Amino acid sequence: MKPLKQYGLQSERVLGVGKQPGVFEQEVSALEDRLMMTTLEKAIAWAQTKSMWPDTFGLACCAIEMMSIVSSRYDIARFGMEAFRSSPRQADLLIVSGRVVHKMAAPLRQIYDQMLEPKWVIAMGACASSGGMFNNYTTLQGVDKIVAVDIHVPGCPPRPEALMEGIVRLHEKINAGIPPAYEIRGVAE
Amino acid sequence: MTYEGVPGVVRTKEQYGETTLVVDTPRLVEACLHLRDEEGFNMLADIAAADYLGWASGPEDVAGYIGDASGRSVSAPGSWGLKRLPEPKPKRFSLSYHLLRVGSDPARVRVQVWLDEAEPVASVTDVWPTADWHEREAYDLMGIVFEGHPNLVRILMDDDWDGHPLRKDYPIGGEPVRFSGEE
Amino acid sequence: MAVAPRPGIYEGTRIPDPIPTVLQLDERLRERGDILQINFGPNHPSTHGVLRLIVDLSGEEVVGLSAVIGYLHTGFEKSMEQKTWWKGITYPERIDYVGFQNNELVFVLAIEKLLSLEVPEKATWMRMLLCELNRIHSHLVFLGTAALELGAISMFWYCFRERDLILDLVEMVCGTRMHTRYFQTGGLAEDIPVGFYPQAREFVEWMPKAIDDYERLLSNNEIWLERTRGIGLLSADDAIALGQSGPVLRASGVDWDLRKAEPYLAYDQVQFGVPVYPNGDVYDRYKVRVDEMRESTHIVEQCLDRLDGMHGEPWIADDRKVVLPPRHELHTSMESLIHHFKIVTEGYRVPEGEVYVAIESPRGESGCYVVSDGGAKPWRVKFRAPSFVALEATATCMRDALVADLIAIVGSLDSVMGDTDR
Repeated sequence: MKPLKQYGLQSERVLGVGKQPGVFEQEVSALEDRLMMTTLEKAIAWAQTKSMWPDTFGLACCAIEMMSIVSSRYDIARFGMEAFRSSPRQADLLIVSGRVVHKMAAPLRQIYDQMLEPKWVIAMGACASSGGMFNNYTTLQGVDKIVAVDIHVPGCPPRPEALMEGIVRLHEKINAGIPPAYEIRGVAE
Repeated sequence: MTYEGVPGVVRTKEQYGETTLVVDTPRLVEACLHLRDEEGFNMLADIAAADYLGWASGPEDVAGYIGDASGRSVSAPGSWGLKRLPEPKPKRFSLSYHLLRVGSDPARVRVQVWLDEAEPVASVTDVWPTADWHEREAYDLMGIVFEGHPNLVRILMDDDWDGHPLRKDYPIGGEPVRFSGEE
Repeated sequence: MAVAPRPGIYEGTRIPDPIPTVLQLDERLRERGDILQINFGPNHPSTHGVLRLIVDLSGEEVVGLSAVIGYLHTGFEKSMEQKTWWKGITYPERIDYVGFQNNELVFVLAIEKLLSLEVPEKATWMRMLLCELNRIHSHLVFLGTAALELGAISMFWYCFRERDLILDLVEMVCGTRMHTRYFQTGGLAEDIPVGFYPQAREFVEWMPKAIDDYERLLSNNEIWLERTRGIGLLSADDAIALGQSGPVLRASGVDWDLRKAEPYLAYDQVQFGVPVYPNGDVYDRYKVRVDEMRESTHIVEQCLDRLDGMHGEPWIADDRKVVLPPRHELHTSMESLIHHFKIVTEGYRVPEGEVYVAIESPRGESGCYVVSDGGAKPWRVKFRAPSFVALEATATCMRDALVADLIAIVGSLDSVMGDTDR
């Protein structure tokens, strides 16, 4: 499985233009025969996205916004994801929400290791993506130094809608057949 | 507010409506006990350590120094070329205990001691139990050793961390920011 | 303002000896065998962030406890020494990320104290309004998560529904939901939009009914009472010795609120009550916070009444050495251009000195100790974090507790780990 660009995808996904599938979605569906995903693979990808349970990994401010996507206004239960599992063994998705510091890096890696494949990671917020405004002795400059990240969501903190956009893009990536980040990067799971 | 009975006071400073009592370091616990028992300061709000390495040491090091030693410098607009040196400090570290009187007559006072590098100070955990974690934090981040503290180990940094991060000679760390146009 | 008579919740002191913050296991119990040491690790199911408790259990009883923090130590204080005063305002908000306006306020008040800067009245009242909205926000998050952990799951959705109403108001004024950097030295960053007032009035009408809903769900609920009455006792003397403040102190019977004792902003010009409860258990801390939400709504209403008469007044001080000039002036006035340039590039200079400013944040006394060397960057900034001190009380509160009470007690102390670790 290669990145979609290598299959000829040209466009970028554009936010909220109309209710019809946009150029990106049309291109992805046009690529389907070139991607050569079997019906079984498509069905598995569909099932994986439809109830991807996140792990409760709230660290800092982004955790409060992550909690608010469970709330009734930005309802994430419509995606089947309101069941935040406390045990990483039962979770598919690790939303690293907040700044990861040196002392917390080892527990983060331990939690990530305990998750079972296939697993995805969303680096929520500026601090998880790149260290944010804290470029100092204790903050990890980006959580992708220790885990393989699929989606980075910018913002400080990202609005709940921004996080949902990240989650929806992750679903689209999976439906398009892109493997999780650890497979693409070839790193240990 | 006069604090005449407090033992060990070297200097009193009143600024911005706050009273600072600079106390001789060996007599700190005596002063704190007096303030707690006689004056009624029953709560220790905070212990703040500050490192004054590099304070008023030269034109490049300190941000507030306008001009140089030889005379006026016109390159600082709004300063009329006058030198402005911050008041020099007696020793490297200052430890400020912010005390609070909870009750019908609220009052605040700051008790300050000055320490050199590696000079220990007595712990006030027996006076106010809340000092426990504050002193651990001052030890962890500034390297000030508290004698008589029941559990002086690192609290915020990793247990095996080297160095005391908030000191002025400890680098800020982090990564240099890469700009996309550079390479 | 008298201190309420101290009730005798328990005899003597329950602060552990020799280490006041660690409940140490009695060695005889260990010899008798069957002590299980477990780790409530940094990744919690309960949403309090990264607190680690090392707990010794004898069956279901907690016989040993020590709290390990530092999993979110971001180095705020050292980072702020590298940034100018103006840029540094974005940092304190993220310390106590649930009560973000209060942290901004304490830093800005400290700078203004050093500068001896006069803040216009409109800014003072708006700051007060936003801080009280933030207090309600913080207590809603507390209530939602504490109830969620104890099993009253639906409270989470109710509380977060109101929280979204508050964040809508904040977004309307400040431009973003959280971490707004709206409080600037000298006042506010921008004027208040006119659409804010009717929406805020609607909120003030709606909120007491919502709080009534919460009380109807929880306050007389048998399960809630069983799980919170008599749990996590902390007497007034112990609380003061442990440096507690805010709702924890008021739930132990001490009538101490910085808004009444040492008023800042315009708190001496508004009417509000301070709830004090005598028992020092988890239930009383819950009651204190719920009652505080009501009082805060009342304060918001009074602020709105005052602000209604201040349309068109300045929202930031006029001192051009510190405050950016209005943009339209940059086209006409040379001095404004120079001031703007100096403030943005070098930053304004704050006179030499040290101050300690304390306010009543939703968690207790939040303080900021600032040392300035006369320059454009702070020399030392230290934040007195109420959550840091609240966690010192865990060992005392958890004497004679069972495992299930651990979660209730940690929730009731309402500590935010960003505030604890800074």
